[in-house]
Amino acid sequence: MTSNKKNDHKNREKHFDCADVEKYVQQYLDNVLDEEKKRLFEEHIDYCLPCDKKVEFERKFREIVRLKTKRLVPAEQVNEKLKNLLKNIH
Amino acid sequence: MAENRKKQIEFSRLIEPHLTSLYNTALRMTRNQHDAEDLVQDALYKAYRALDQFQKNTNFRAWIFRILVNTFITAYRKAVKQPQKISYDDLEEFFLFKRLDESASLQEMPKEEFLENLFDDDVKGALENLPYQFRIVVLLCDVEGFSYNEIAEIIDAPLGTVMSRLYRGRKLLQRYLWDYAKQRGYITDDFKQKK
Repeated sequence: MTSNKKNDHKNREKHFDCADVEKYVQQYLDNVLDEEKKRLFEEHIDYCLPCDKKVEFERKFREIVRLKTKRLVPAEQVNEKLKNLLKNIH
Repeated sequence: MAENRKKQIEFSRLIEPHLTSLYNTALRMTRNQHDAEDLVQDALYKAYRALDQFQKNTNFRAWIFRILVNTFITAYRKAVKQPQKISYDDLEEFFLFKRLDESASLQEMPKEEFLENLFDDDVKGALENLPYQFRIVVLLCDVEGFSYNEIAEIIDAPLGTVMSRLYRGRKLLQRYLWDYAKQRGYITDDFKQKK
């Protein structure tokens, strides 16, 4: 009981505010925050709608960049050229 | 000779799954097909010659990308003497979101829709306009899916440098897209009155 109370107290002390969300959003979306920061981050965006919207927009932004730039399947001839190069490499 | 043939086969087996993504990355770095082909070709030759130094069962993809990036940087540095200077004054977090929020012309349009309506060519153009140090890390992370640690290995820089270039690069990308949107008239400078 005592230990739980202590933890409760400790948890109550720590909160992320909107500035923390700005500070950590990129690491959050890259999934590199440690467990504790990730929890605090998610706790904040759970109740702060403006921050949640910003984070979702940022997530969408990355998805769009990936989708709109990723696949340029190389022209057949380029692929063929590179494969030929591999055959003749020495 | 048989040794050579064996090496060729081994090299092809390792490299073929990555050819497309090497070529695409080269194209984003050099901005044109001819240079991209030359770059991949140079990188393949270097990799083949250095194959003995590649340690089996380690990360081949990171290894070959490291050679590609190094080859690019060497060539690029020869071509461009002055590093590009960038102002970071207005590179705040959520740059695009905030600008869209302030814009009167987008009042009725969800911000996500703005992103979906961007032309592929605008996004590619914005990416290709990033200074190369930023472009490389954004490409490696957001397009090719490498981790921070892998990128640190590929560009041979500390983790902190990778993170700082990546974050700045993404914000700069948002600024470029904002500029494109204004140029194309999606957005007007008719901002909401600030009190």
